[in-house]
Amino acid sequence: MIDRIAQLPGLGRPQLPPLPMIRRQQIPEELGRATLLGVALLYLLVLVALPLVIVFVQAFAGGVRSYLAALLDPYALAAMRLTLLTAAIVVPMNLTFGIAAAWAIAKFEFRGKNMLITLIDVPFAVSPVISGLIYVLMFGAQGWLGPWLNEHNIRIIFAVPGIVLATTFVTFPFVARELIPLMQTQGNEEEETALSLGAGGWQTFWLVTLPKIRWGLLYGVLLCNARAMGEFGAVSVVSGHIRGQTNTLPLHIEIMHSDYNYVGAFATASILAMLALVTLVAKALLERRQPELRARAARQAV
Amino acid sequence: MSITFEQVTKRYNAGPVVNDVSLRIGPGEFFVLLGPSGSGKSTLLRLAAGLTEVHHGRISLHGRDVTHVRARDRGVGLVFQHYALFRHMTVGQNVEFALRVRGVRRSARARRREELLQLVALEGYGNRMPDQLSGGQQQRVAVARALAHEPQVLLLDEPFGALDAKIRVELRETIREVQRRLGMTTILVTHDQEEAFSLADRIGIMHNGRLLETGRPESLYRHPATRFVATFLGAANLFLGERGPSGLRLGKRFIASGTSLRAVKGDPSGDHEVVTVVRPEDIEVSEHDEQLDSGALGAGQVLSVDFNGASERLRVQLEPEWDVTSAIGREHRAVGGTAPTGEQQIVDITRTSAEQARLALKPGLRVALGIRRFHLLPTPIASFRLLATAPATVAALRSSPLLRQLVESMQAPVLDAQDAPTGSEREGIQAGVGVIAAGSHSIGEIARAAAQGRRWLLCIPPRAALPARILIQCDYEAARSSTLRLVASVMRHLSAEATFVSLQSPAAPRAEATSAFRRLLDARAELQEIHGLDIRTDVHIGDPASWAAQLAVTAQPALVVLGVESTPSDLERILSSDFGALFSDVSTSVVLLSYTESQAQLAGVRLDTMSPLFPAQTPQGAAAAAPAAVPVLPGTPA
Repeated sequence: MIDRIAQLPGLGRPQLPPLPMIRRQQIPEELGRATLLGVALLYLLVLVALPLVIVFVQAFAGGVRSYLAALLDPYALAAMRLTLLTAAIVVPMNLTFGIAAAWAIAKFEFRGKNMLITLIDVPFAVSPVISGLIYVLMFGAQGWLGPWLNEHNIRIIFAVPGIVLATTFVTFPFVARELIPLMQTQGNEEEETALSLGAGGWQTFWLVTLPKIRWGLLYGVLLCNARAMGEFGAVSVVSGHIRGQTNTLPLHIEIMHSDYNYVGAFATASILAMLALVTLVAKALLERRQPELRARAARQAV
Repeated sequence: MSITFEQVTKRYNAGPVVNDVSLRIGPGEFFVLLGPSGSGKSTLLRLAAGLTEVHHGRISLHGRDVTHVRARDRGVGLVFQHYALFRHMTVGQNVEFALRVRGVRRSARARRREELLQLVALEGYGNRMPDQLSGGQQQRVAVARALAHEPQVLLLDEPFGALDAKIRVELRETIREVQRRLGMTTILVTHDQEEAFSLADRIGIMHNGRLLETGRPESLYRHPATRFVATFLGAANLFLGERGPSGLRLGKRFIASGTSLRAVKGDPSGDHEVVTVVRPEDIEVSEHDEQLDSGALGAGQVLSVDFNGASERLRVQLEPEWDVTSAIGREHRAVGGTAPTGEQQIVDITRTSAEQARLALKPGLRVALGIRRFHLLPTPIASFRLLATAPATVAALRSSPLLRQLVESMQAPVLDAQDAPTGSEREGIQAGVGVIAAGSHSIGEIARAAAQGRRWLLCIPPRAALPARILIQCDYEAARSSTLRLVASVMRHLSAEATFVSLQSPAAPRAEATSAFRRLLDARAELQEIHGLDIRTDVHIGDPASWAAQLAVTAQPALVVLGVESTPSDLERILSSDFGALFSDVSTSVVLLSYTESQAQLAGVRLDTMSPLFPAQTPQGAAAAAPAAVPVLPGTPA
């Protein structure tokens, strides 16, 4: 019932009537509000907006020509290609596993369910650098599987598979975390009805479940994608920083920055910043589209 | 039969939520499962739909065993309380869904869609989204959708629960109309008795996972078998009465003479305490006794008068000198907002406007009450009487989980040995079930109580847990009926699984074994036929003493129901030689004894539910006395 109400536009959160105020207190209260707002805005401006602006200013410091030159640099292009490739592999994988995990957790009762939920959260809790190190310890030359991989001439660490694995690990929770509460509140009645009407498992999934979760799913995928493209720590450990081969965009930026190539670094950074902005706008649009997500975002913000 | 449940059991971690339910629903029948929340009625519906797996038993739809058939292949139409419409599809797409997943051609789908929307009076709504419809309209869409694939049965889970009163009545008529027109077998689950009365061909009442009683609405209302059903279906006054040699008596007054009681039913069960059900509308009110047209009950003071439109509700407090006792335990009585009234009996009465015109009443007036019509519950457990006197033992017995569960569920009163004897005890009639503490001394105590005429005795060991199973043992033909009556009463109120056990000696000749099997099957059939309950059967090879010894120390505590027929002097010998271990100090099992005194003329006569007296006012068709539920017998052709 609650979630049903929450689905109605404008009814997501109960609107409390404003508290009656005594006149005398009104002036200090307004002053307090203005002060707080001012401090918050200033903080955001200095710490978030200004750096973003600087990214773009610095990128174009040498003129449009050098900006384009920096972007069309073969190493930069290779890094872009690798980043897109990684995202293209990681996002569909996490999409599939995320749905499967959320489905299992929301629809079934089984032993070790809480264990599974905790496991899903592990990548959030562990520092990305450590996630990268874990893969090095497993697949690296001195790692557990290192000798065997070496014998069979399979390269994981300091190669694309390592980058994909590390990114998958770090971004795994986004889709599952988004779907679990959604599926739990939605319940099973539509699916049960579909079954009783003669639909099979796949039909029920495609025709009933997927449409029910599509906005939450898209939201999770967006977040997952943003993180997959922007991940630095874990990827940095497993990639080996081989220019043109195992450098992703964030690594490329870092290298250029260490080389005092500021225009190049900032030009590349502006691409990532643009991607982030596009993601944020898409997320905002989605939230407007789906009041339920907005309510959740508001709850999480609190 | 359209839908058949045979001994269907479903367990969750805590225990059975649906417990040995057997039920047959005929073609085209509208069956309503009624019960409080948590009684297992929705689970039974989900079992029928195939959304949940059964643990035990069999479910058939139209003669096809579907116990292990998947939900999608069962061909049932299902409607939930919250509609469960597919929100991202239009109304039309919702209705077509069943045909779409079957790959039916678009044109055929469209034809069927229009047909169904017309059936639920929603023509022209096909292109709307579900969110644009009102709750009642959405539920009609859900009904149309459930009918698209021409299911064999329609299952409705509280379909009106989320709607407001007016729309509820409208939709109820729509559903009844659709169901009649299609002649579709339907099960509806609800907790609303008004809904059940207005829709049902037959009602089944569930409580604690048991199907307590089934029957046509009016026969369930007139002839309930349990206190629970009597008070759950409409209001009822329940009094402890005594059937003595001179008739039925409530308190000081005889309501019916002995000859008329015997003439009506030919009940051979002897004299005992009974639970009398009197509906509020069956009580007559007048200024004086002499003006009453019906059997006088007593007199009392009007406590309150509530006007409800068509009728008037009175509460009258009976004066204590009439000695009328409630058959509902003190802790289960509704106080009704008035000051605590102690042990005085408050009577609920409803009067029609014609009766109101004849005699206007105000609170405070003294009135005489008469009983126009009554019904006796077939349960032998009218009350529990603690026979122990030591305070510690009494406290231990009162707090024993089994007695508490029985009392809680049956709402029966528990009387102390110190309590004033009820009228029947003064008459020499032994009231209710005697409760004693188990131990080495208990056999002697039982024999003494039996010699005084007590027929049912519950023997509870200290620290006995709530029994997980009920085992019934009765090898005496003459004791069977009264034992089964006791078993039926206990079974309805415990969630434990019940098994009738036949004890057979390995050395016994073939003929004896055959007759033991016969007795086993007879017992099961009798329980089904007369009480509408299903039971399991088991054979134990060995002598009674070894069986008893095994049960006394079992890790799975049992309630052992023993049916014994003997003379009072033989009882002690039989109990100690055959079942002595069960009464020992270490036994963990509870014993419920049904004792029948050897009397040749009583043997083999069957007991039956009593029907109301005063036949002039109660046309007594065969239906009135018919068993409430349709039993399921193994091997009966469906």
